Amino acid sequence: MPSLDPKNLSARLRYRAAGNPPTTTPVSAIANCFPGLEFDFRNLWRRIFVGIILHEADNLVVGVEPGVSPTIAALAGKRLVAVNGVAITAAVTGPQVVGGPVTQLVPAAFLEWTNALADIVTRPGATVPCTFQDDDPATGGPVGPATVVDLTVRAILTEGAIARDAVQPGELTQSLCSPWQNDYRECGCYYWAASRPDYVNVDTTGVASTGHNWLQKDRDPAVKDYFASNLITYEELFRNWPGLLRFVVQGNDSE
Amino acid sequence: MLLNLPLLPSAGGFPLRDSGTHAAGSPDVRLVETDAGPHLFVVGGSRVYGLTEDQADDFRAAMAAGGEAAARLLADAGLDGPPAIADEPPTEMPMRSLSLAVAQKCNLACTYCYAQEGDFGGEAKAMPPEVARAAVRRLLGECPPGSKANLAFLGGEPLLARVVLREATEFAAELARDRGVRLGFSITSNGTLVRPDDGDFFERYGFAVTISLDGLGDVHDRQRPYKGGAGSFARVVENVRPLLAQQRRMQVSARVTVTPQNLDLPQTLDGLIGMKFHSVGFSPMLASPTGRGQLQAGDLDAVLAGMIACGTAFERRVRAGERYPFTNVVTALREIHRGTHRPYPCGAGAGYFGVSADGRLSACHRFVGDAAGDMGDLVDGVDRGRQQKWLAERHVHRQEPCRSCWARYLCGGGCHHEVLARGRPACDYIRGWLDYCLGAYVRLLTARPDYFAAGNP
Ligand code: SF4
Ligand code: SF4
Repeated sequence: MPSLDPKNLSARLRYRAAGNPPTTTPVSAIANCFPGLEFDFRNLWRRIFVGIILHEADNLVVGVEPGVSPTIAALAGKRLVAVNGVAITAAVTGPQVVGGPVTQLVPAAFLEWTNALADIVTRPGATVPCTFQDDDPATGGPVGPATVVDLTVRAILTEGAIARDAVQPGELTQSLCSPWQNDYRECGCYYWAASRPDYVNVDTTGVASTGHNWLQKDRDPAVKDYFASNLITYEELFRNWPGLLRFVVQGNDSE
Repeated sequence: MLLNLPLLPSAGGFPLRDSGTHAAGSPDVRLVETDAGPHLFVVGGSRVYGLTEDQADDFRAAMAAGGEAAARLLADAGLDGPPAIADEPPTEMPMRSLSLAVAQKCNLACTYCYAQEGDFGGEAKAMPPEVARAAVRRLLGECPPGSKANLAFLGGEPLLARVVLREATEFAAELARDRGVRLGFSITSNGTLVRPDDGDFFERYGFAVTISLDGLGDVHDRQRPYKGGAGSFARVVENVRPLLAQQRRMQVSARVTVTPQNLDLPQTLDGLIGMKFHSVGFSPMLASPTGRGQLQAGDLDAVLAGMIACGTAFERRVRAGERYPFTNVVTALREIHRGTHRPYPCGAGAGYFGVSADGRLSACHRFVGDAAGDMGDLVDGVDRGRQQKWLAERHVHRQEPCRSCWARYLCGGGCHHEVLARGRPACDYIRGWLDYCLGAYVRLLTARPDYFAAGNP
């Protein structure tokens, strides 16, 4: 039967498109939303400034909205580095190896939007000075002289719901986790790590530890090979994740 | 407003045509047939769906075949799923609302009063100021910063204890400010003792003021005489008029207790709204201590007809873009629009408690002095054992015939006080009213979707 037409709020919340499984409704969602299995809420920030479109997970201006002024149009491809005088990047420092000296690892790493913009999100309609620099393709960081442009803060929530002009149809789901591919290997929120050990049978008596890495290609128990070049790569996962990950299906290892 | 009051203030809740289990019907769905097209009310989660004529035919056939066929059809439509309400009662419900019986005495002698002329069938009592302060401390002590709470003054007639009322309000407002709690105040009064400076005070603290008025002129006077027998209407109107003109932060509403003697609801509603009350609501009298003034089965049909007539007037006004604050329908539409579903009729004994003049806690203002609803005292706080037992026993899944009633999550099983005193004589009325409200919802959602925009109703 075609879907019934949900009318009140509780019906709309439980809306399930024809053919979708029960897990696609918010109430039964896993609700990991960063990037997310059902929604990627980072996309809420893409249009926080009227006129420009940001990357959901980077301070890069990926586009501009139609009909903007030449000043705003010129921001495409630049990096946003400060808002209202507050830097939205930070230097990352730390040791390169256990016990090693503290050095600067990344000069200007992007702070994710929720924290970086907490100050201004509550002030929709306000105009704030935003500082931009060019993108340095070599480092993926900002470079060159700063440009300051006043931009208007867009409301991302109105009346308790996501504002219509804050996200375009499809945007909330365009960057979901790919659990059996990239994110299985390297989930940014350490979600998948919880369900499998990364590194086992570890021997710490030497200078560096040895052990079995969960992604090592050579599955022989005698081999403890945890060097990056000998681990399953992203590309191999894309091409053959069922074979490489060997899910247990109906009690048997899958091939 | 008190927190979590039932859809129908202090009446058992709402309405339908056949009681208990329904031969042709289903405890899981209800068809809403309106001139805005067929709609389906899914009981779990209080969800409303629009149907095509074909879908409606399928549901009609399934419901005629019985509850199981309807449940199968729901599953086919992808509307099944885990139950919206669990069997287990909630645990550790925090206190968020108290009503203080600051004066267990009254200057009126209303025919049906649950407090039996104010003293709850005992000795007239006044709440000492330290009890009021202890109640405030108890309430605010359980509220984390940023939470919302409510303090209500009831009686008897609370304005017989004006000094305690004001002192407790000032004390509570200050403590709430210190603790960062958003505290609302409310009072239910018979209006005979209201003075202009009360208006100033209520305005300053943003009170929700409810005045009990049972009709216009004689109709009111017959039900709400002074102890000497004289009518009280003229005095109440004279006292309340300045407050009505003064309301900014405060809201002054009227509540009408419906008995067999004041059944002309449309006239009463129109008259009171015309007097500029912020809102006007009806509470059918289903159980009075003496049985006097109680509605009987035949009367309930007349009440339902009157309520629907009022609702129809409301719909007409809303379509014309006018405000017509008929509380019962405004509340019902808001709850239906949200899809409110709950296993209790109100917050009594859960987050809401009554406090007697001598500092005992009860499940609500009506259970003051009644062992059936005793919940401990202010010194030791809520008796968690009694509360847990209450929540377990009062859960709508444990009530008959509620378990198989389609209205169970909107009605919640009816006012505990009335059910314990008189059972459930008003279910047809409750379901009839809810049936009407579901239809009104669908009609207005089609004709005036703007009425349901956020912040409204
Ligand atoms: S839920 Fe219970 S009290 Fe309410 S209408 Fe149904 S049967 Fe009656
Ligand atoms: S139990 Fe008390 S609070 Fe609940 S509906 Fe009845 S009178 Fe009101």
